[in-house]
Amino acid sequence: MSQQGNINALVIASIVSAAALLAVVSLLAQQAPAPGQNDSKGKAASKTEAKTGNVGLYRNQPLAPTGPVVKLADGTVDLSGVWLGGGGSDADIANPRSLKAGDQVIMLPWAEEVVKNRQSKEDPEANCLPAGIPRGSPYPWRIVQTPTHYFILFEGNIHSFRQIFMNAKHPEDPDPTWYGHSVGHWEGNTLVVDTVGFNDKFWFDYKGHPHTEKLHTIERYTRTDLGHMAIEVTIDDPGTYTKPFTTIGRATLMPGQELMEYICQENNQDLPLLTGPARGPGGR
Amino acid sequence: MRSEVTAAIAGAVLLVAGLPVFAHHSGAAEFDSTKKIDLTGVVTKVEWTNPHAHFYMDVKDASGNTVNWNLELASPNVLIRNGWKRTSVKPGDTVSVTGIRAKDAPNYGSASLITFPDGHKLNFTSAEEPAK
Repeated sequence: MSQQGNINALVIASIVSAAALLAVVSLLAQQAPAPGQNDSKGKAASKTEAKTGNVGLYRNQPLAPTGPVVKLADGTVDLSGVWLGGGGSDADIANPRSLKAGDQVIMLPWAEEVVKNRQSKEDPEANCLPAGIPRGSPYPWRIVQTPTHYFILFEGNIHSFRQIFMNAKHPEDPDPTWYGHSVGHWEGNTLVVDTVGFNDKFWFDYKGHPHTEKLHTIERYTRTDLGHMAIEVTIDDPGTYTKPFTTIGRATLMPGQELMEYICQENNQDLPLLTGPARGPGGR
Repeated sequence: MRSEVTAAIAGAVLLVAGLPVFAHHSGAAEFDSTKKIDLTGVVTKVEWTNPHAHFYMDVKDASGNTVNWNLELASPNVLIRNGWKRTSVKPGDTVSVTGIRAKDAPNYGSASLITFPDGHKLNFTSAEEPAK
């Protein structure tokens, strides 16, 4: 991948991301929580007993609350907060445990050949480039809702963000980008995000499952209770897979947590030390 | 019950086939879980940076020569949420380190466990005891 060695592009991307993130965070700071609205400071936690437990990699975290979801003044579900998890298996997107029952990931022959030949050090994620959709991460993320735009702020995933244009349409011929062009709408209590216009650069997982610019994703976010969100992502890429498949995941609210800075490019000493074929964290 | 299940899952996530879990690359591609290291020395430098924190340590080899090791930890974000502070390991500290060795670089490893002379320990992702 030619972009992986392009330090100038990385620096520019970092600056642009940082500036955009600053703008989003400024917007967030101006949004006062509605009465009863759950924010990340832990109002929700007050509904649970004061217990802690492990959440992902993180120990002694306040457990996620389980009360009913809260709605915003416009009647839509409040998804705001700091969440962990919910993506596909970052080790292997074809792992049946993170797929909808009965779904299979069947590659076209060219894609099988690509996976066989990819090397770990080529993984965009290892190069501090975006992990795309729906690759999981051990770092938390936040949803910010405004009337016209929703934002997903990633702590990991190179500290970048996605923007979702609510009740909007895709452009006719979007320029291919890492996160594509996302439009959102509500179906009952489920936020549906439709994305096209991806580039073909990110990998779905450590194993290197690829995609083409024909990729079309449909994400369905359903806050099942105050502390949990079911996330389904349908991946439709007829350029790479014989049929669509859907990943299933569940995100957990992290009461009391805030996103932290994560500038992956700062000290990525690992890249030159990565050896061998693309594979999962445990080597398979 | 749920917290026990969560803890079990977290434990499984923390260690895959003897390898620490890395956020942005395959641990198996960088480290050899069969090549253990067991070092004692003096910390010379700490890099509290992403995607991984590092500390460097002078260690005397079998010939009495001093070798500077580069030892990798999880990211500061993971460490801070698990009780580490940026000063938990400082230049001048004498520590013992167990871990695994990089496949393709000498004197480079992943620190699984750090033990201080007073007995308190820190690990790759977490302060087992409150950081001092």
